[in-house]
Amino acid sequence: MTLRELIGRLAAWRRREELDRELTDELQEHLTLLEEEYEREGLSPAEARAAAHRRLGHLASTRAESRDAWGFPALERRLQDLRYALRGLRRSPGFTVAAILTLALGIGANAAMFAVLDRVMFRPYPLLRDPSTVNRVYLQTTFQGRRSTNTVFPYTRFADLQRETQSFSHYAAVSEWRFAVGRGDDTRVRKVAGVSAAFFGFFDAAPVHGRYFTASEDALPLGTTVAVISAAFWRREFGGDDVVGRQLKVGSLDYRIVGVAPADFVGTVSGEPPEVFVPITTIAANLGPYSRDTYWLDYRWDWVEMLVRRKPGVSVEAANADLTQAYVRSRAQARELNPRVMADSLVQPRGLAGPVKTAAGPERGDDATVLLWVSGVAIVVLLIACASVANLMVARLLQRRREVSIRLALGVSRRRLLAQFIAESLLLSALGLAAGLVFAQWSGTLIRALLLPEGSAFNLAQDARTFAVGIALVLLTTLLTALGPMVIAGRGELGAMLRGGGRDGAARRSRVRSALLVFQVALSVVLLIGAGLFVRSFGAARALPLGYDAGPVVEAVLDARGESLGDEQQAQLQRQMLEAAEAIPGVEAATTMNTRLFRSNTADLWVPGVDSVASLGRFNFQLGSPSYFQVMRIAIIRGRGFDASDRQGSVRVAIVSEAMAERLWPDREALGQCLHVSLGDGGPAIGAPCTTVVGIAGNTRQQALVDDDPMLTYYLVAEQFAPGALLPIALRLRTSDPTAHVERIRAALTRAMPGDGLAVVRPMQEMVDNQSSAWRLGATLFTMFGGLALLVASVGLYGVISYDVTTRAHELGLRRALGAQAGDVLRLVVGQGLRVTALGVIVGALLALGASRWVEPLLFRVRATDPVTYAAVLGTMLAVALVASLVPARRALGADPMQALRGE
Amino acid sequence: MTDLTAGLLAGTLDLLILKTLSFGALHGYGIAQNIRRFSGDALRVEEGSLYPALQRMQVKGWVRSQLQRTPTGRTGRYYELTDDGRTQLGHESESFLRSAAATTRVLRSTAG
Repeated sequence: MTLRELIGRLAAWRRREELDRELTDELQEHLTLLEEEYEREGLSPAEARAAAHRRLGHLASTRAESRDAWGFPALERRLQDLRYALRGLRRSPGFTVAAILTLALGIGANAAMFAVLDRVMFRPYPLLRDPSTVNRVYLQTTFQGRRSTNTVFPYTRFADLQRETQSFSHYAAVSEWRFAVGRGDDTRVRKVAGVSAAFFGFFDAAPVHGRYFTASEDALPLGTTVAVISAAFWRREFGGDDVVGRQLKVGSLDYRIVGVAPADFVGTVSGEPPEVFVPITTIAANLGPYSRDTYWLDYRWDWVEMLVRRKPGVSVEAANADLTQAYVRSRAQARELNPRVMADSLVQPRGLAGPVKTAAGPERGDDATVLLWVSGVAIVVLLIACASVANLMVARLLQRRREVSIRLALGVSRRRLLAQFIAESLLLSALGLAAGLVFAQWSGTLIRALLLPEGSAFNLAQDARTFAVGIALVLLTTLLTALGPMVIAGRGELGAMLRGGGRDGAARRSRVRSALLVFQVALSVVLLIGAGLFVRSFGAARALPLGYDAGPVVEAVLDARGESLGDEQQAQLQRQMLEAAEAIPGVEAATTMNTRLFRSNTADLWVPGVDSVASLGRFNFQLGSPSYFQVMRIAIIRGRGFDASDRQGSVRVAIVSEAMAERLWPDREALGQCLHVSLGDGGPAIGAPCTTVVGIAGNTRQQALVDDDPMLTYYLVAEQFAPGALLPIALRLRTSDPTAHVERIRAALTRAMPGDGLAVVRPMQEMVDNQSSAWRLGATLFTMFGGLALLVASVGLYGVISYDVTTRAHELGLRRALGAQAGDVLRLVVGQGLRVTALGVIVGALLALGASRWVEPLLFRVRATDPVTYAAVLGTMLAVALVASLVPARRALGADPMQALRGE
Repeated sequence: MTDLTAGLLAGTLDLLILKTLSFGALHGYGIAQNIRRFSGDALRVEEGSLYPALQRMQVKGWVRSQLQRTPTGRTGRYYELTDDGRTQLGHESESFLRSAAATTRVLRSTAG
């Protein structure tokens, strides 16, 4: 269409009514002239009139065709179709509400899942400039076929990679921490990001006040203590005052605020945005003199993440090769300090410039995998919803066959009829999207709690990307739901059905509907089996004997915030804090510990008579005070636990786990054996004094929930091995609900700390729960979606059978009149429902078996072909089908057989 | 006599209308009459296609119309060519003649 024609059409469309009048007059005039012509040729007036009409053709259709030149006929017809569809939907509110709700569940679930996936995996960070050229650095090693990928490494490695690569224009080191920020009552633990000065250059984000810190303030070995605060922090804590130049205590150091970042700036974190940004070269100093003096020299401490921007024209492959070479050189450097760094030929080191979001990276973790699975599940739910709505639409088409046949007789083309089906589907889908977004937003709290890192924003209404996906989903559902009517209409069955009235079309149309139903039942079965498998995995993970009881225990991490204390004073503080903890009402016992749950600490270990302890496994140590075993409820199987006599200066003693005793001394008594332990400060273990094994403890899952190997644990007396440290404290409460007491304990312990020091307290069970989060996530979401699918499928089943019973009322009545018993009719109707369901169940079970290979790695101690789960799901489905077909069957029995006879 | 219908010869119908109008303004009936007359009664325009074609050509800007008194004293809508219409006529007749000549050559060709 040329521009000129467009303008012409627009102009004509604006005065189309006037044009229509003129055209009518004109055609009338033409008719008159034709009549006159025929009369001149000798026809009678009546004959002339008839002939003229024949010539001009159907006046109305000539007019209609002429009108097509004005405006945009195709568009107008679509609008007409939509109006027609709207009228139709309004006439049957029951169908409309059912269809919209069903689609809303499907579309809403998918929109919500996309919103989550997008945040976790795809969406670039706000304000990040040219995101396609920004990468996170991943370092990979493959040892004995097992690949491990690291995104966190020593600062020294970051410096090496920066020095040794040429592919990148920008480099930044990033590290997230939770530090106490502020002084006195305003002190709170907040997220603090240590970043390189170059970090800000990755973004288009000018500070709203002041400036960012500079490279000279972020210099080795010790950066300047300057800080940039987030806009949210600035507004909330400072009321938006001029803060540049003010002091802010972050962790153990005093910082000077130099700027305020803009509102959307979150850096590259997931979840809760950082509130303070400080030079990464000040982080180590914040943690203590040892890290401050060594972090830039040795390779012992993994704590830095690395962002790079590729130079223009540098491909990812070239960058990977460059990084790999630099990594190899950096490992050579590390080997000079520590000869035990393994040879490159053994571990095949590789550097990768990968996605900034780790969930999209080479090792995405179980949570992200489950998330992808659940997104697949959401799509299945959508398919079930579409099948269900398509089924409803076919039923509706059959109910409206009189109307449809009249329209066909009036010359409405088959294409136009199809266009109207599609318009109806489109309208339903669009309304489904609207309802679905409301539903998704409404369940947003749940979704956020389950799926997103703590503190993530989740607002679907303002999210253009989710909305765009929603529109795409609407188009998809429109096509899928219009498919049912289209198959019928397209196969020319419509005419046959219309001619046949109600009775003999029944068999054929129910084949389409039964197929849809089998599809629904099959997919529901797949989802329910998935739900069952995850529920059982979650149950198995929860039922694992942990070897300890974290339920009523809280842990308190003590932070002296840079109060410089000597070793003796620190030891005294530790004792005071332990006493303060024991004095808190409701506390049964308290102990120090150095290794928090699911962290791991290893020391240099030498055992006489054992060649290489390291080759036997990874031995973790735990430091504790005498009541450690009482607090954690770890069983002492033989020998003794710690007691009050195990103090600083007394004979060094250790307690080892059963697994460790078995591994080190397989055919000897472990009690009385010697361990030589060096915690890193006292030279090699071989020269360390003997630590006597005095007890054997039960095995525990303290390092990992599901991996059996880390049950190699030994316990040492904190006072004997780390007399000058301020260790976390674990408190056992006399309550089953420790959460309610967290605040009270935090306040009491913080009061007991000197200066700006504070305690951070949380229930230990949280950490146990986090370990099984992937299964809990899977179990919750699969169950939710599986339940939805079951509901939708049973409603669909009920709808189909009840519709069939209605159309067969006559036949069933006749059967009764001719002597069929109630039981026969019941069997007939229920049997039909069960047959369809059984077919769906079989197909579903086969699909699930086919997918079992991929689910297996996500499960825990449950086979993907678990017969219990399969039996339970199949039983449930058949029971639901039985109920769904019994209800209409009973209604069929209620019909009066005499009525059917009279109708014959 | 051949009826021109909207199918195969739709482009030709536009061409015939444009040509007819190139001799001066006419109303719809007159256009139909003239096409019939010029073709020596060989072509007859289906009125059912004539009016849609005229509306189309107006929107495209090839033809414009205004109300005028007819010779019989009634008021009728007279169509006339615009400058664009005249150009279009040139193009269309050129290409029609060329393809007609080519078709003729094919039809008159002999084997070998």
